[in-house]
Amino acid sequence: MLGLNPADWQAIEVTLKLCLYTTIFLLLIATPLAWWLSGKTSSLRVAIQAIVALPLVLPPTVLGFYLLMAMGPRGLLGSSLESIGLTHLAFSFEGILVASVLYSLPFAVQPLLESFNNLGRRPVEVASALGAGPVDRFFTVILPLCKGGYVIAATLTFAHTLGEFGVILMLGGSIPGETKVLSVLIYDYAQSMNYDAAHRLSLILLVFSFLVLFTVYGFSRRFQVVRV
Amino acid sequence: MKHRALLSARLSLLLLGSFLLGTATAENFTIVAASDLRYALDEIVAAYIAEHPEHQPSVIYGSSGQFHAQISNGAPYDLYFSADIVYPQMLHEAGLTADEPAIYALGRIVLWSANRDASTLHLSDLVRDDIRRIAIAQPEHAPYGQRAQEALEATGIWSTVQPKLVFGENIAHAAQMAESGAADIGIIALSLALFPTMTAQGYHLIDADLHAPLTQAYVITRYGQGKPGVLDFSRYMESDTAHTIMQRYGFAMPE
Amino acid sequence: MSLRIRAQLQRGAFNLLIDTALPTDGVTALFGRSGCGKTTLLRIIAGLERVRDAHVEFGDLCWQQDSHFVPTSARRIGLVFQEHSLLPHLSVKENLLYGYNRTPAELRRLHLEEVMQMLAIDSLQQQRIDQLSGGERQRISLGRALLTSPQLLLLDEPLSALDTQTKREIMPFLSRLALQAQVPIILITHSPDEVQRLANHVAFMAAGQITTVETLEQALARPDTPLFQDEGAAAILAGQLGPANEHGLRAFGSDQSRLWLQSPGNVTELPECGQSIRVRILARDVSVALDDPQRISMQNHLFVTIEHMHTIADQRVVLSLRLADGQLLLSEITNWSARRLELSPGQQVYALIKSVALIS
Repeated sequence: MLGLNPADWQAIEVTLKLCLYTTIFLLLIATPLAWWLSGKTSSLRVAIQAIVALPLVLPPTVLGFYLLMAMGPRGLLGSSLESIGLTHLAFSFEGILVASVLYSLPFAVQPLLESFNNLGRRPVEVASALGAGPVDRFFTVILPLCKGGYVIAATLTFAHTLGEFGVILMLGGSIPGETKVLSVLIYDYAQSMNYDAAHRLSLILLVFSFLVLFTVYGFSRRFQVVRV
Repeated sequence: MKHRALLSARLSLLLLGSFLLGTATAENFTIVAASDLRYALDEIVAAYIAEHPEHQPSVIYGSSGQFHAQISNGAPYDLYFSADIVYPQMLHEAGLTADEPAIYALGRIVLWSANRDASTLHLSDLVRDDIRRIAIAQPEHAPYGQRAQEALEATGIWSTVQPKLVFGENIAHAAQMAESGAADIGIIALSLALFPTMTAQGYHLIDADLHAPLTQAYVITRYGQGKPGVLDFSRYMESDTAHTIMQRYGFAMPE
Repeated sequence: MSLRIRAQLQRGAFNLLIDTALPTDGVTALFGRSGCGKTTLLRIIAGLERVRDAHVEFGDLCWQQDSHFVPTSARRIGLVFQEHSLLPHLSVKENLLYGYNRTPAELRRLHLEEVMQMLAIDSLQQQRIDQLSGGERQRISLGRALLTSPQLLLLDEPLSALDTQTKREIMPFLSRLALQAQVPIILITHSPDEVQRLANHVAFMAAGQITTVETLEQALARPDTPLFQDEGAAAILAGQLGPANEHGLRAFGSDQSRLWLQSPGNVTELPECGQSIRVRILARDVSVALDDPQRISMQNHLFVTIEHMHTIADQRVVLSLRLADGQLLLSEITNWSARRLELSPGQQVYALIKSVALIS
């Protein structure tokens, strides 16, 4: 199908798995983080917000470099994992997953933050006065009222992870079936002058990314119209 | 350390350049080179500038395949040093060079490790369980990676060690993976293993019979054609000074 | 039973310092200018604001002390905010039942039907939230809070975002609520009118501190009370409404101090016979005479005793007049008139009342 070879399919599988896991983990992490950030302004919040936004401006090489240092056997994270009998994270799927989560953090946090800021604290306070506990409030008030923010956060995270290259290249090690994602495979095809294969995969990625963004923008427009 | 050495080399080039700009008509040209040449070529260029301040070469390091693709698409590079003669040969056949490619060295590959003494290791040791990750350059487009694969295949352990392999985009990237300790072993260029920050660790030279020769060649591109500085520098590569530096970094000179 | 609060909070130039017990029978108004800390205090009571070292005790329930902190959701309070706070993704009915469904069945005292009837919102059930008027939204907010069968109702300026007309519509619901719901209410307000209409007790708040807590009668007996800042001194009389006479006038109050009220016929119909109501009589609408004048258009003349004479600004005097039934009436006259009539405390005079406003 589509003239793809097994290596291509393998890379597609790794990529989709990475995107999916990153999106799930990020929504879990970004929800409390964005909620906390949407509270009253304090200098600590401003600082954390700036840190969250760092991946937007930093070159991926900076993150890749530091993560390789931290995750390798000599790094803080890597060595503590080794000391409890686990393997360090460099050149592993878990490693690029951690990197993706960090790298896409602003893409999950910003839409949620904006959504929570629009929501304000009032509906949640109303719900707690009506006897709803924190989990109850999240599912019956925050989630339905910030649905748009969640759709946007999820799609942007997914799409951004799809387009990730630099960080994965630096600490992934291009292991087929483990850390070799589509963008790296395309790069290798282009490097080895296999332009046909590079072209095929690039086109697939291009169309898919367009569809994702089309959905996001369509949804965000609808979302704004619906909001009272 | 590495970065600082590079930085000071760049800085001195820059200072020298601005000084010369005011006095003589300096000629600038661009060299692109395979990343195994990183340290050797830096020294040669510095020595060259000391002798010929009227010329101002600047060097970009990367993967041979990448530069080939860029030059094919019209990149403004004057001189191209490839880790494999195949690429300059292709450019030549495409009519993108000023003349025939010239061989400047034969490359060698070695086993190198940041966390163990690689000089006591052999290729066959790579199957050992305590060696979990082996960094090589991407065989699909990096000549050093191809030779590493050939050597592993010749030893009969390619399929056994394949799950342990991690791939750098070029040989310097593979060396960096090993240097950071994230990969236990790197199969890297001898020239990189001889760099001051890495040489303390020792290395195991892989038998040259196990792989096709790494015939390294450079060529003057059509873009660099007719520039006196480019021609002058290519002649300098044949000088004793250049040869001495190349040998010091483990490049065997062609007979 | 009372609500005990001890809290200290420094926020920039604002300093909240509270150590008080608020009465919890009927309606206690928390009265003060905006920015005096009323809302912050209410949020501490509700548990929406967790101030360190604060102490909040409701009856024998400790809501906050040291590390012990009962979250808002477990305090069983009803909260109504200033602006509309209905959950926009839910229907009117879902809003009403949101808290009801989260109240354990054995604790439910009020049910959907009666609350909808009390607040006249049964017809709104099928409407969308964004189609409701401000007054309707506030009524639904009230109903929703009531349906949790709260132990305490906290109303944070529930009328201040509404226009005068809507306010007038809601007021009767609020006063009925205070009577029927049998829930202690803390009402935050900066409007003397709301206090006079609804409150049984008043806590005066200024610059982050509660200055006085007293009954409405005590507050209204002070001619300098802040409650008179809008319309001047006024007396609030409570009493029962009697039947209409042949001229269509309704009797109000006891036999010794009977007033005749005119059916307004426009805004709200007068309540039924026997119902307890409040009327307001502004001090400047009350004149005094040494004899009972007969040939005069004013119908309401009461025989009263002067208790106090209080000189206020502009050469004017406010007289506190004790009615036969013990309630207090105020009259504002000029200093010159007081001297001309040689008025003094203890003297018995006739109070001539020009106008009476039924307020609840």
